Amino acid sequence: MNKLLAAFITCAGMVIAPVAMAADFPAKNIQFVIPVSPGGGFDTYVRAVAPILERHLPQSVNIVPTNIPAAGGARGAAQVYRAKPDGYTIGIFNIPGMLVPQIRGDSDLQYDLKKMTWLGSFGQDGYGVGVPTASPYKTVADLKALGRPVKFTASGPSSTAYSATMIATDMLGIKREIISGYKGSNDYVLAVIRGDGDAVIGPLPVMEKFVESGELRIIGTFEEKSSVPGAQNAVEMGQPDLSKLSVGRLVAGPPDLPPEVAKTLSESLMAAMQDPAMATWSKESGIAVEPGDAASAKGILEGQFNFYERYSKYLGPAN
Amino acid sequence: MLDVALTAAGNVFTFQSLLFLTIGMLIGLVVGVVPGMGGTTALAVFGPMTVGLDPYSALSLAGGLMGAVSFGGSVTSILINLPGGAPNAATCLDGYPLAQQGKAGLALGASASASSVGGVIGVFTLLLVIPISKKIVLAFGPSEFFLLATLGLVTIAACAPGRMLRAMIVGGIGLLFAFIGFDNVNGGTRFTFGIEHLWEGIPLAPAMIGLFAFPEMIELSAKGGSIAKDKGQVGLTGTLDGVWASFKYWKTLLRGSLIGTLVGAIPGVGGTVAAFLAYFSTVQASKNPESFGKGNIEGVIAPEAANNAKDGGNLIPTLAFGIPGTAEMAVLLGVLVLHGMEPGPTMILHHEAEIYGLILTLTLSSILASVIGLMMVRPLAMITRLDAHILVPSVIAISFVGAYANNSLPGDIVLAFVFGVIGYLLIRFDYPRLPLVIALVLGELAERSFAQAMMISGGSWSIFVTRPISALLFALIVMALTYPMIRTLLQRRHSVEEVS
Repeated sequence: MNKLLAAFITCAGMVIAPVAMAADFPAKNIQFVIPVSPGGGFDTYVRAVAPILERHLPQSVNIVPTNIPAAGGARGAAQVYRAKPDGYTIGIFNIPGMLVPQIRGDSDLQYDLKKMTWLGSFGQDGYGVGVPTASPYKTVADLKALGRPVKFTASGPSSTAYSATMIATDMLGIKREIISGYKGSNDYVLAVIRGDGDAVIGPLPVMEKFVESGELRIIGTFEEKSSVPGAQNAVEMGQPDLSKLSVGRLVAGPPDLPPEVAKTLSESLMAAMQDPAMATWSKESGIAVEPGDAASAKGILEGQFNFYERYSKYLGPAN
Repeated sequence: MLDVALTAAGNVFTFQSLLFLTIGMLIGLVVGVVPGMGGTTALAVFGPMTVGLDPYSALSLAGGLMGAVSFGGSVTSILINLPGGAPNAATCLDGYPLAQQGKAGLALGASASASSVGGVIGVFTLLLVIPISKKIVLAFGPSEFFLLATLGLVTIAACAPGRMLRAMIVGGIGLLFAFIGFDNVNGGTRFTFGIEHLWEGIPLAPAMIGLFAFPEMIELSAKGGSIAKDKGQVGLTGTLDGVWASFKYWKTLLRGSLIGTLVGAIPGVGGTVAAFLAYFSTVQASKNPESFGKGNIEGVIAPEAANNAKDGGNLIPTLAFGIPGTAEMAVLLGVLVLHGMEPGPTMILHHEAEIYGLILTLTLSSILASVIGLMMVRPLAMITRLDAHILVPSVIAISFVGAYANNSLPGDIVLAFVFGVIGYLLIRFDYPRLPLVIALVLGELAERSFAQAMMISGGSWSIFVTRPISALLFALIVMALTYPMIRTLLQRRHSVEEVS
């Protein structure tokens, strides 16, 4: 009889468990997947927010940053996508970095960004055009009038920096030649300073550091209102759509996350990003945080899907 | 600058900072000893734990760790022919033969003092060149990277005396492995056989663990006995002689340190190349090159000095532009960011005192780690007297853990096993294993930089001789390839003259 009772209680427990789980969430440590190696920008955001996020969750648990740097981030994304939808596995996503392989149709891609549960955004970086300080080119029009293909430095053809260079030069009508294969944004901006190419199209925060140290000049920003004095904005260059080129840092959990769990995670993340401690870190490190909620993350994702689907011919060979 | 340096010193010589320096050093020694775990893994694990500490304690931990890893890594290279990390691979060449001859103490002593002096020289060179660090970094572009990688590949010809052809065959196989994964220049992935795990290429740590640990252990368990062939002879008394050996061969020590600093200063080339170039140049400069590979103490001094000097050099591109020269530096930058330092060309302007603090901890650590390491030499050298049935299972277990620990990817264990089989086959048929490591480290850099140089020059090969540094490197390659031949010819003519 006792056994029967025990079995009954267990069964009842299994039925009630999901409800109880949502109310008690989080009851154990949360894994925060970073689909790149330690040390990069995305890694930094997660490691900076993790201890602050711990304080804002309704129950005290640890946030465990986990780097899964395999297959260009696809493995980490797949791990979040396939995780049990209980809120104990979430991840940070480079949008459009993780979105381009999906539009391009890379083989064996085991995630679908459109189905994931979007929780928030650390913000987006805009792009711009830079030239070495000593360069004679002052505007994008100067590059256009060069009469020969302009040499741009970028990472490999499957990368978003390469696609961004292809798309932007096309929209601006600049004849281009791309010196590819650099290992990251710091690397290809340094390459243009060294003289490997004529100009570079890259994320503004990276380029601004080289402007401050006196090596680079930004001649155009792909923003509606230019944040760099003296640089033309996207509207002045006649291509307002250029402002869609950006790098976004979005946070998501697996598909079909229970709404209460998603709400808890999303609200705690928002509170953590708005915490004064995060603001202090951001100010000291010079790394911008623009807190965005679940709806804004989803909006960014949809906007990027529309944009890159339109320019899918520039997305490089599929992996 | 002096007042900044004094502020930094004041912040480093506090009880808390010194405590964290010591903790970092002990962690560094331990992870250095465990194959596959290097400074990168340790910093990635322990760096984030420093959140909440003041920046100096965090920097002391990081500096202590980085300064100690390379000596830790040399210990296993010498004692069991298993490099703690790729940069320690060159130390195996002469360190292990010394251990087999029962002179492990001598080799460890030399490694300790060479590491210390190398580390200090590296840091001092760094301090001297900080004002011109930007010029140094900008002087190296794709054509120079390609030639440097080639110079590194040339050392393959010298890393197995008497078996040059075999070394080159293995080097070729290594290059094939190096091209697996993302094609950075043309996009897409290649030679992955549809295995997702191979997209990022062959990871170095598991490959090295497989290549070095498994074959050695299979051999040992088949043979039985212990590493030191004559148990009675394991000389633990030679340690001090070893320490002095570095100073006796001061030219070797200095050459190794300077090569280490210079190579470290070039982003993306790293400690493995530094160590091999230092070894190679020592063999070239020696009056009796045939004594290397059989237990020449200079063959331990040169790579170990280079290996520790490269940390100072590595900081040059990191401080000048925020470009990490190695994976280890990339993780260190991550730690700096956690403490509110913005990596990039402006870091040294905004955080001068912290940077000098880091430099100081690196110096302290490279000296102190060797002292602590030397105190542990006696028990460590006992490893070579351990019987196979105790040593083999322990090393295999630690190796598997090391292969997995690097990235927590189960696929890496499989890779370690596959490379274990390759390594065993190489030993079995008397082919050297080191060329595979050199090629694996340099293949991708060589290919990518070559393609980039060609794009920059518009397809003209003259780029490799018209840029001054390129021309110099080109001349060095030609010299490295022809010098042994010319020397043999001269010797032959000399002996012919004597006979007539």
